Amino acid sequence: MSAVVSPIRKPLITGNKTYHQITEDLISPTEKTPTKAWIIGFIIAVAVATYGIFCIIWTIWVGIGSWNLNRTINWSWDITNFVWWIGIGHAGTLISAILLLFRQKWRTGVNRAAEAMTIFAVICAGLFPIIHMGRVWLAFFIMPYPNTRGPLWPNFNSPLLWDVFAISTYFTVSLLFWYTGLVPDFATVRDRAKGLRRKIYNTLSFGWTGSAKHWQRWESLSLILAGIATPLVLSVHTIVSFDFATSVIPGWHTTIFPPYFVAGAIFSGFAMVLTLMIITRKLLKLEDYITIEHIESMNKVILLTGTIVGVAYLTELFISWYSGYVYEQFAFFNRALGPYWWSYFGMMFCNVVSPQFFWKKSWRRNVTLTFFLSIVVNIGMWFERFVIIATTLARDYIPSSWSLYSPSWVEIGIYVGTMGIFFTLYLIFVRVAPVVAVAEIKHILKTGGNQYVGENAKSHTHHTNEH
Amino acid sequence: MDNSNNKDNIWVGQMDLNHEEEFLHTLDQEFADDQVEYAAQAVSLSGNRRDFLKLLGFGLGAATVAAGCDIPVKKAIPYVIKPEEIVPGVANYYASSFVNGGDYCAVLVKTREGRPIKIEGNDLSSVTKGGTSARAQASVLSLYDTNRFTGPKMKDGASWVDTTWEEIDKKLRSALINASGVRIVTNTNMSPTAKKAMAEFTTKYPSAKIVTYDPVSSSALLDANEKNFGVRAIPSYHFDKAEVIVSFNADFLGTWISPVEYTKGYVKGRKIDDITKAKMSRHIQVENHMSLTGSNADNRILVRPSEQGVAIAHLYNEITGGSISTSGLNDRAKSLLSKVAGELKNASGKSIVISASNNVNEQLMINAINNALNNYGTTLDMSAPSYQRQGNDAELKALADDLKGGSVGCVIFCGANPVYDSAYGATIQEGLKKVKTKVSLAISNDDTTDLCDIVAPSTHFLESWGDVEAKKGQFSLIQPTISPLFDNRQAELSLLIWAGSEGLVENSEQPYYDYLKENWKNSFFNLQNEYATFQGFWDNTVHDGVFTFQSSGSSAYTSVSIDGNITKPSSSELEISYYETVHMGNGQYSGNPWLMEMADPVTRTVWGNYLTVPVNFDGIRTMVGYKNLKDGDLVELTIGSKKITLPVLQQFGQMPGTVSLALGYGRLIAGNTGSNVGVNVNDSLTSNASGIGYYNTNVSVSEKVGKEKDFSCVQYHHTIGVRGIDKETNTEVNADESALVTFDYFTGIKGFQGALTDRSVIYTSNVKDLKNNVEHLQERRKEAQHLNAQQIYKGFDHLYSLGHHWGMHVDLNACIGCGACTVACMAENNVPVVGKHEVAIHHEMTWLRIDRYYYGDVENPSTIYQPMMCQHCDNAPCENVCPVNATNHSSEGLNQMAYNRCIGTRYCANNCPFKVRRFNWLDYTKADLWPVNQPRLQEETIPFMADNLTRMVLNPDVTVRARGVIEKCSFCVQRIQEGKLSAKVEGRTLRDQDVRTACQTACPADAITFGDMNNKEGDLNSKLGSPLNYIALEEINVRPSVTYTMKVNNRDKSFDA
Repeated sequence: MSAVVSPIRKPLITGNKTYHQITEDLISPTEKTPTKAWIIGFIIAVAVATYGIFCIIWTIWVGIGSWNLNRTINWSWDITNFVWWIGIGHAGTLISAILLLFRQKWRTGVNRAAEAMTIFAVICAGLFPIIHMGRVWLAFFIMPYPNTRGPLWPNFNSPLLWDVFAISTYFTVSLLFWYTGLVPDFATVRDRAKGLRRKIYNTLSFGWTGSAKHWQRWESLSLILAGIATPLVLSVHTIVSFDFATSVIPGWHTTIFPPYFVAGAIFSGFAMVLTLMIITRKLLKLEDYITIEHIESMNKVILLTGTIVGVAYLTELFISWYSGYVYEQFAFFNRALGPYWWSYFGMMFCNVVSPQFFWKKSWRRNVTLTFFLSIVVNIGMWFERFVIIATTLARDYIPSSWSLYSPSWVEIGIYVGTMGIFFTLYLIFVRVAPVVAVAEIKHILKTGGNQYVGENAKSHTHHTNEH
Repeated sequence: MDNSNNKDNIWVGQMDLNHEEEFLHTLDQEFADDQVEYAAQAVSLSGNRRDFLKLLGFGLGAATVAAGCDIPVKKAIPYVIKPEEIVPGVANYYASSFVNGGDYCAVLVKTREGRPIKIEGNDLSSVTKGGTSARAQASVLSLYDTNRFTGPKMKDGASWVDTTWEEIDKKLRSALINASGVRIVTNTNMSPTAKKAMAEFTTKYPSAKIVTYDPVSSSALLDANEKNFGVRAIPSYHFDKAEVIVSFNADFLGTWISPVEYTKGYVKGRKIDDITKAKMSRHIQVENHMSLTGSNADNRILVRPSEQGVAIAHLYNEITGGSISTSGLNDRAKSLLSKVAGELKNASGKSIVISASNNVNEQLMINAINNALNNYGTTLDMSAPSYQRQGNDAELKALADDLKGGSVGCVIFCGANPVYDSAYGATIQEGLKKVKTKVSLAISNDDTTDLCDIVAPSTHFLESWGDVEAKKGQFSLIQPTISPLFDNRQAELSLLIWAGSEGLVENSEQPYYDYLKENWKNSFFNLQNEYATFQGFWDNTVHDGVFTFQSSGSSAYTSVSIDGNITKPSSSELEISYYETVHMGNGQYSGNPWLMEMADPVTRTVWGNYLTVPVNFDGIRTMVGYKNLKDGDLVELTIGSKKITLPVLQQFGQMPGTVSLALGYGRLIAGNTGSNVGVNVNDSLTSNASGIGYYNTNVSVSEKVGKEKDFSCVQYHHTIGVRGIDKETNTEVNADESALVTFDYFTGIKGFQGALTDRSVIYTSNVKDLKNNVEHLQERRKEAQHLNAQQIYKGFDHLYSLGHHWGMHVDLNACIGCGACTVACMAENNVPVVGKHEVAIHHEMTWLRIDRYYYGDVENPSTIYQPMMCQHCDNAPCENVCPVNATNHSSEGLNQMAYNRCIGTRYCANNCPFKVRRFNWLDYTKADLWPVNQPRLQEETIPFMADNLTRMVLNPDVTVRARGVIEKCSFCVQRIQEGKLSAKVEGRTLRDQDVRTACQTACPADAITFGDMNNKEGDLNSKLGSPLNYIALEEINVRPSVTYTMKVNNRDKSFDA
C-alpha cells in the first residue's frame, strides 16, 4: 500500500484500488460466464426450491393435516421458520438505514448484499403465514378492503393482522431502498453493456445519466428512505413478538419480548450476512472490499446482540421465579428440564455461549471461526423460536391436553425448500447486479481526508481510453 | 288513444287511461305497494352495439365457466303431499326404547323430516329416568351403517347371494320340520311379546330350545338369586338409599346390569348441596384394575382376580359369622375388609354389597351378607326385580356340547354372536360345521353370522315395533321412527312366520305391530285400571313410551347352604383380568364408529384394547411401568397356549402382579370400523365347573418387543399431583412433578411443589376436611378476582347483564366419567370420526372431552373426571387474536364461530387456555372436491361419512365444517335458538328448561346444568350459589361461563397406610 494511511482510520478498501479497478472488480461478475461453482450451486438451489414448492403444493392440496401439528401444538415449524426468516431479514435494513444515519462508512461494503438478503429472507418468511392457513385460498380475507360482506373488516385487535401490515411495509421499504441504491450501479453496468443487455439495464436504471441533479435527488431519496426504514427495524420484530406477547399462554405472555426479539433478529441477521459474505467475498474475490475489518465490526454487533439476548433469557428465568405464578414458573421449568430440554440447551449454547468467543480480537478476525459461529448462531436462533413456540404450547395450562410434536416430511421439505428459494434468488442476484454498491463504495475509497493515491493520481493518460 | 306506453291499447283501469301521475309512477315498480324508490332504474332496455357486445362476451364467458365446472347434481325433492305430522325444519320426538340384549334405555328419538338423528333420554321412565348411556346415544348411527344387510341372503358356496323372503321362508319351514334339534340362540330377551313369539315357535317345533346367554355373563348372580328367592332375576338396587356401598369388581356405574339406573341413584348420595351438612355415601371397590366404578370409589381394596372369592368369603365371615376358608387372601385386603365389615354393620339396612363374580357360591355369600345387613327391603328390592340379565351359562355350555355332538339340525341366531363373545366360541365354531341349517337374524355381518348359510336380517330397533319389561311391571314400548331402510324383516316376525303362528295376520301391513297390540290387549290391558279403553291405554303408552303396573308381592330371602367351592386363589406370579368397557361391551358395539372413537373413560384410549400394566414411582423421578414398559410398547402376552402381541398402557391403580385387558375388541367381522381392531381374548376366559371366570392365572408378559404404530390415547399426562415416597429423604413428595423432569443438567433438580398441585383447574377435598378446603378455595377465588379487578379494560359487562347470558354448571361430584355426553355431543353437532391414525397424532375432533386425573396416593390414587368443553369466556383470548373476526362474541355471552369466515390460522387454538378448539386438519367430513385428503378409518373403499346413507345421521341444524376451519363447542346454539323460538311462539319468557344442551340431556348423573345466568329463578342460578363452585383458571381473567364444583371424596386415609 503506497497510500498515506491514517493511524486512526484504517482504509476501508484494501489493495490500493483505483476507481476503475473498483468498477472492474465489482461489475465484471455480472458480465462473465458463470463459474462452475455458481452453476453447481444454482442447480442445487433450484432443485431444493422445487422440492420445497412441491411440499407447499402438497400442503395446500392435502391440507394442514399433512403436517404433524395437533390439537395442542397448532404452530410449530411453520411459525418458527417464519420468525427465523424475518429475523434474518433484519440485518439489511439495519445496515442500510441505521448505519447510514450513524455514518458508519464500512456499511457500504456489505449493504447491497445485506439488503438483497433481507428481501429474499422476507419473501421466504412471508410464505409461512400464508401457507400455514387452513384455507389459503381465502387469505385475502385478512386484507382490509371495502367488500360486499357488510362490509366486514378484519380484526384490528389481532397481532396477526398487525403482522400483515408490518411485514408488507417492511418488504416494500426494503425493496425501494435496495432498488434505489441499485439505480446508479445499473447505469454503470449499462454503460459497459451492448445490445439487448444494454437496453434492459437502461430500463432498470431509469435512464440514469449521472447528472448532478440525479445524484442530488438520489442522495435525498436515500436519506428519506433511511429515515422511514429506521423505525421499521424496531417495529417489525416488535410486532412479530406481539404474536406471542399479547397471548395468555405462559411462556408467550411476556412483556420483555419486543426488545428481546429485536436484539435476536439483529443477532441472527448479522450472522446470516456473515455467512453469505464470507462465501461471496471468497467466490467473487472481493476480499479487498469486504475486509476483515467488516467481519470484525459485524462480529462486534453479534457479540453485543448475543449478550443482550442472553440477558433476556436470564431475565425471563428470574421473572418467572420472582412472579410466584405457578404457570409461569412451570413454563420455564419445562423449557429447561422438560421433554424439549435439548432445544433449550441448544438455544442457550448457540446464542449465549458461542458469541462470547468474540471478546478476543484475533478470534473476531478469524474468518473460519466467524463462518462456523455464524452458522451456529442461526441454528441457535432457530432453536429459540422453536423453544418459544413448540415447547410452550406442548405444556400449557391443562395437563390433560399436553402433547408432543415432531415434524412431518412435508414440514421439513418446506423449511429446506425456503432455503432453496433463498439461495436461488441470491445466486441470481449476484449474477445480475453488483454485490457491492459500486457508486457508494467509491465514496469511501478516500477516508480520513487523505489524498487519492491511486494510479490515476500520477497520470491520467494511462487509462483514459479505457473509461 | 295515443299512448306510447300502451301501443296495443291495453290499459289498466281508469287511472291508466287518464295517464294519472301517481299511476304512472307505480307502473315502474315491481310490486304495487313497494316502498323502495327505483329512481335510477335503467330507462331503456333497448341496447346499443356496445351493450350487445358486452352481453355477448359475458354470456359466452359465463357459459364457458359454467360448462367447465362439473357441478354435482343434488336432488332435493319437495313433499308432493306433506305428511301431517312433519313440518320441515321442526323436529319430531317419538318415545321408544333402546335395547340390545340386556342393555336397555328408555329413549326419545328425535327425527327430522322422517330421519331419526338423535337419541334423548325419556324422563317418564321409572328405570332410566331420562338418563342415557353412550351406547344408547350411539345406537342411531348403527341404523345408517353401510355394513347392514340390505335383504335376505343365502350362501352359495362361500359367497352370499341375494334371495327373497318367500324363498327363505319356504326353505326354513321344510328345514325346521325335518330338523332333529332346533336351537334359538339369543342374548337376554326382555320383550314379553318376543318371548310369546318364541314360545309359539317352540310349541310348533318341540325339538326347539331357546338358549339365552349374555356376552358378559351374570349367570351366577341369577342362579344365586333363584336359590335364595326362587326368582331368576336381579333385585332393584337403590344406591340412593345406601350409605355404604361395597362392590366386588362390579362396574355398576359403567357396564354392570343397568348402569344408567344405578348412576341416577348413586350420584344422589354423592352430590353435596349444603356444605354445612355435608354427607356422602362411602363407596369401597374391591378389584385389581382401575374400573370406571373403581375410579369413582372412595377407597379401593386391591385383590387379585383369583382372590375375589376369598375376599368375599372374608367379608361374609366377618358379617355373618361364617367360617369359609380365606387362605390366600392378601393380608392388607384382609385387614381392610375387616374395617369395611365394621362400616357395613354400622350402616345396617343402609348399605349395598354387590359382586360381579360369576361363581354361585360367591353370589350366595353376597346375598347372605346383604341379608345379614337387613338390606333386603330397603336398599335391595326383590319386589320389582330387574330382567336386564337373563343369560344362563349352563344353557350355552349345553349348546356348545350339543353342537359338538352333532345333535343339532338347525340353529337360529337372534342377534347373538357366541362364536366371538362366549368362552365356547371355538367349540361352537367347530360344532356349527355339523349343523345342517344355520340361520342368522343379525342386522349386519358378524363372526357368527358369517358361518351361517341363511341370513334373514332383522331390523334396527329404530325401524321396529316391540316391548320391553326391563323390570317387573315396568314396561316400555319400542316404536319405529322410520320405515325399514332395506328389505329386512323384524326377527320376531320371522320367527312367527316360520312357526306359522295363528295369531299373525301375515298379509297385514304391519303384521308384528298387530300381533304386539293384540298381545298387549290380552295380556296387559286388564292389569291396569287407569284407562277404560284399550285404545286409550295403547295410545298413551305409545306416546309416553313407558307404562308402570303396580307390582305386588316380594319374594322372601331363604337361606341356603353355601359350600366352599369358590374361586381358588392362585399362587402364579401374574394374573390377568378381563373387563367390559363402557363403549365396546363385549364386542356388540365395535362396529359403531362413534363408540370406537369414544375415549375409554379410564384409559383414555381409542381404537383398540391396551394391556393395562401396573405403574409405580421409582422414588426418584420416574413412573416405572411393569417390566419397564412404557405406553404404546408392544409386548407378547401368553395366556395358556395363546400368544398375542398387543400394546400396553401404564395404568395407575392397577394392582401389582396383575394386568388387565378390555373385552370386545379383535372381532374378525364387525364392519369397516370394528373388524380387526385390537385383540380378542374371549377364548382365554377361565371356564370350569363353577362357571366362566373373567380372568386367567396362567399368563405371562414378555419384555418390550416393539412399538405400536399408532398409539391412540387422547391424554398423555394422567396425574395432577399424585404423591409417593422419595427414596432419598424417605418423605412423601409430589411424585409426578419430579417425573416431569426429563433432563436435569446433572443438578439433581426434582421439580417444584405447585407445578401441578396448585393448578387452578381442579380442586379437591375430603368430605371431613371440607370446611378448610372451601375456605382455601374462597381465598384463592378472592385473590384471583382481586387481580382481575385491576385491569383497565372494562369489557362488556353492561351488555351481558341485559337479555340472556348463557352459562353452564358442571357438578364434578356427580360426574362419573361415563362419556354419554361425549357421544351425544358428536351426534348432535356432526362431529367427525377421524380414525386411529389421526387420533394417534392428536387430531381427534371431540368438542367435549372428559379429562381424567389421578391424585393422592400414587399406588392407589383417587380419580377426578372433568368434562371440558368451550368455556365461552366473556373475555375470550381466542377472539381478539383471530385476524378475520371468525370467532367472536354474541351479546348473549356465546363465543361463536363463523365457519365461512375462518381461514384457519389456528391462532385461537393456541391461545385457548383450555385447549378445546379443534381444527379440521383433513377433509374429515368428506366435503372437498378431491378425495386425496379424505382419511379412511380402516382402509375401506368409501371413506366413512362419504356415503349418503351415513350422512343421513347428520343434524341438519348444524353446519358440517370444511377442511381448514376451526370448530368447537357452541353451547348447542341451535338448541338455544329453538328454545328461544318456542318461548316466543308461546308468548312467554324463556325458562332454563327450554334450552337443554345435548350433553346435559344425555347425562345419567344430572351433572350438567345449562341456563341463563341472568335468569335469577332459573335452574342454573340455583346451582351458582354453592360455595364449592369455582371457575377453572379464574386468575387469568378470561372469565369463563362454565362453573365447576370442588370434587369431594369420602376417602378413609387410614386405608392407605
